[in-house]
Amino acid sequence: MTGEVALSVKNLKTFFYTNNRCNKAVNGVSFDIKKGRTLCVVGESGCGKSVTASTIMQLLPSLSRIEEGSITYHAEAGDIRIDQLDRDGKEMRRIRGSEIAMIFQDPMTALNPVYTIGFQIGESLKYHTDLSAKARHAKVVDLLANMGIPEPERRAKEYPHKYSGGMRQRALIAMAMSCNPKILIADEPTTALDVTIQAQIFRLMDELKEQHGTAIMLITHDMGVVAELADEVIVMYMGNIVEAGTVDDILRRPKHPYTRALLDSIPVLGRGRNQDIKSIRGATPDPYQRPKGCQFSPRCDFATETCSAMPDEEYITETHRVSCHHYKDISQHD
Amino acid sequence: MLTFIIRRLLIVIPMLLVISFLVYLGLELTPGDAVSHMIDPEAASQMSPAQFEALREALGLNKSFLERYATWVYNMLHGDFGRSLSGGVPISEIFLDRLPATLELSFLALLFSTVIGCSLGTISALKRGTATDSSLTVIGMLGVSIPEFFFGLVSILIFALHLRWLPVGGRLMPGYETFLDRAPHIILPALVLSLMMTAGVMRYSRAAMLDSLSREFIRTARSKGLPEWRINFVHGFRVALTPVVVLIGFRLPTLIGGSVIIEEVFQWPGIGSEFIGAVRGADYPLVMMIALFSVFAVLMASLIVDVLTAIIDPRVRLS
Amino acid sequence: MANSALNRKFDRIRALEEAGELKPLTGSRALRKMMNNRLAMVGVVIFLIILLSAIFAPLLTAHSPTKIDLRSMLQSPSGEHWFGTDKTGRDVFARVLYGGRVSILVGLGSALLAALIGVGVGCYTGYKGGILDVIALRVSEIFMSFPQIILVLLLVSIAGQSLANLIVIFVLTGWGGMYRLARARMLSLREEEYVQALRSFGISTPMICYKHILPNALGPIMVNITLTTAMFILAEAGLSFLGLGVPLNIPTWGNILNVAKDLRVLQNNWWMWLPVGMVISLFVLSVNFIGDGLRDSTDPSQQG
Ligand SMILES: Nc1ncnc2c1ncn2[C@@H]1O[C@H](COP(=O)(O)OP(=O)(O)OP(=O)(O)O)[C@@H](O)[C@H]1O
Ligand SMILES: [Mg+2]
Repeated sequence: MTGEVALSVKNLKTFFYTNNRCNKAVNGVSFDIKKGRTLCVVGESGCGKSVTASTIMQLLPSLSRIEEGSITYHAEAGDIRIDQLDRDGKEMRRIRGSEIAMIFQDPMTALNPVYTIGFQIGESLKYHTDLSAKARHAKVVDLLANMGIPEPERRAKEYPHKYSGGMRQRALIAMAMSCNPKILIADEPTTALDVTIQAQIFRLMDELKEQHGTAIMLITHDMGVVAELADEVIVMYMGNIVEAGTVDDILRRPKHPYTRALLDSIPVLGRGRNQDIKSIRGATPDPYQRPKGCQFSPRCDFATETCSAMPDEEYITETHRVSCHHYKDISQHD
Repeated sequence: MLTFIIRRLLIVIPMLLVISFLVYLGLELTPGDAVSHMIDPEAASQMSPAQFEALREALGLNKSFLERYATWVYNMLHGDFGRSLSGGVPISEIFLDRLPATLELSFLALLFSTVIGCSLGTISALKRGTATDSSLTVIGMLGVSIPEFFFGLVSILIFALHLRWLPVGGRLMPGYETFLDRAPHIILPALVLSLMMTAGVMRYSRAAMLDSLSREFIRTARSKGLPEWRINFVHGFRVALTPVVVLIGFRLPTLIGGSVIIEEVFQWPGIGSEFIGAVRGADYPLVMMIALFSVFAVLMASLIVDVLTAIIDPRVRLS
Repeated sequence: MANSALNRKFDRIRALEEAGELKPLTGSRALRKMMNNRLAMVGVVIFLIILLSAIFAPLLTAHSPTKIDLRSMLQSPSGEHWFGTDKTGRDVFARVLYGGRVSILVGLGSALLAALIGVGVGCYTGYKGGILDVIALRVSEIFMSFPQIILVLLLVSIAGQSLANLIVIFVLTGWGGMYRLARARMLSLREEEYVQALRSFGISTPMICYKHILPNALGPIMVNITLTTAMFILAEAGLSFLGLGVPLNIPTWGNILNVAKDLRVLQNNWWMWLPVGMVISLFVLSVNFIGDGLRDSTDPSQQG
């Protein structure tokens, strides 16, 4: 059961068409999300992590579309091609919330200020289960209690503004988990929270994974979180996956110059205080003026002329893949 | 909730006191003897100067300014608003006589503009970028640009003079008593009066709706798999409602002010046309009292709006 | 399906983008957005046409707006009198042109003066805070708790009817809104870091508020000036229509419309009131279009 593929994304491209320009926000990514595993997605701001997540849920704004590729949800009753579903059609709505659920970055704005927490969690149940109003309420209280919210009975009747950030995020997780989804997508769920709360939220997510075998896709900036929670990692840069593998592959045997630079730029807990921290040279390019070929080449120390062609994805091991012309030469430097 | 209302009242009362003070100051400074707007003119014409002076004393007009002001406020609180210069009619009687017509007209206009404005604005926002949206936007612009009285004149010309569907003006014909009898009279003025406010409410509710639909909780709602109508109305519209109610409250003075001109155009026998008559005839006591009353109405309306906002928005309720 | 049109548009943009034909946009973003806003441009054109024809009225018509000509009373529009003549034989077209001068002067002039006072006071007291701020706020609250028309009429009844009085009264009743806006902007801008930095350099208060902060609040203020202009033009028209605005012997748009209170004129002599009503509406519409365009182009939260 654990390790079975719950959702596979193949060569997915999502482009934005705002301001009469075409922004290739996600430009051909492939990965699998597996049951009972946590897939972490890392990369600098603007590399397309959130867009990938929204694409899976079909929550894209109207001036954007899926250009190519497939998103296949492996449901018990058979495979569903999410990319071919109507954005707000019945089938898509059924999947959202009940099969695939999502939690967002900022818990302060993700809840509707004029409804009680209980109402908002109950809404999910109302549309995805046949529970009676009473049973729904009981379930909401139960969910809140499971998320470690004290006095859930009273808290369910309160409005979001009386909740602290951490409690709101728990409420949002309760909402996402209310219908026992097979997949949980969390887009930087703790960026807005302080560190101790972060740890609690992650522990909660880990428990859910263990208990229900939920597949988790976790978007984060924090390599510490990756080391702690991830089973698999994908590293994105400018709409592409530059490297993907198990957590060991990426953290211990990084191949792509970008992954290495990313790891070097972040202090890692446990490596002591005399770490050599280097920031990545240059800045991410304007999405409308993308470099030719390897997107990282202008900032890469190892770039050569060959890099002006897009590198193919190569499998180093069965789990570890990288897109770089020079990864072999680079690893010899170590 | 009660403490909320009380707290709001505590803000309103000083405001009313200051403005009534200014109004009283105005009354004292404008021409006309103070006695004349306090007693019946017929009685006044039969008095000797000595009696007159005695009356001044009796009425407290020889006391200090502040004392006179206090008496004036005291009288007002007891329903004595003084007398109009023309004909010496007690102003309270004029109010009783004219107010129902004005209230009737304003309420109906408020109703029209709220209902029509909100619905059109919401439709416009939901159909953003389509031809419907653009035409509603242009119509809304026209609505706030055409002078209300001009619109009134055109509608009188069309519906009353040419088509003869509705009467030219007035409120009641002798012998007609029920609201239904009056209905043909009120339709045009109420619609015309509501025009500008409708356009305002429409433009604003479109903006509020768009703003609300672009918030993150809408994405959360969508990610729960809710149907589109529920996302738009239960989540989007409900949140857009607060700023719209606030705007309606904010625009109420314009509606009250607008009724002054519209009543004149349609010869609607309300406070507004009385006010214009008073301004024309330099009937200062009446002008001042109606102005004071309009401030009272505005402050009360804003109080009601505040309470309404607190009811529909839990964030306001407790802060 | 409506989506196919969108899809075609996307295909086109993508093809252009891949051909490298789409260039990053240059120049002032606000100006570009304004130019792209069709309604705002229509507004500018109408505004200029009406404004210029009022200014250059003597070049456009040989008739006098006030000359009574009893031989040509109540004529309907003709080649000689484009908008016909009124009860005393005055040329309505000439009256509309010359009337525009006064009406626009009253509207635009009062709005600018109100802005000058409101923004001047609002910036300074908003930035300084303290007792001055409290006093200014309370005073503006008093002015703003009256319905505007009623306060104007009240003041007219006290001060008497004249052009100058009307402008003064408009400024008195209109500065409050401008003041509130400027003050609110000030309150948020004064906490910005660059302002703190300026203060630590020892730059004087008036210098900071008028030279450094004010330009950052100009967008909303400009928008408000247009809206106030529109409001005053409507108010002037309304008051003069009632016969309580500008004295009747001076032609203004409202005074020309005044005749339509007579039902016979309303029904039989449309040229005496319909064209001028439409000119007012058009002018106010154009001002509103410009205001809306300004708002959109100066609002950073809007894409496009
Ligand atoms: N709603 C949108 N409209 C237009 N462009 C968008 C939108 N959302 C994202 N983009 C564009 O898509 C690209 C990828 O953005 P995305 O939000 O996925 O980045 P991200 O990796 O999630 O960054 P962050 O770590 O800051 O959240 C960016 O170039 C961004 O400008
Ligand atoms: Mg993101």
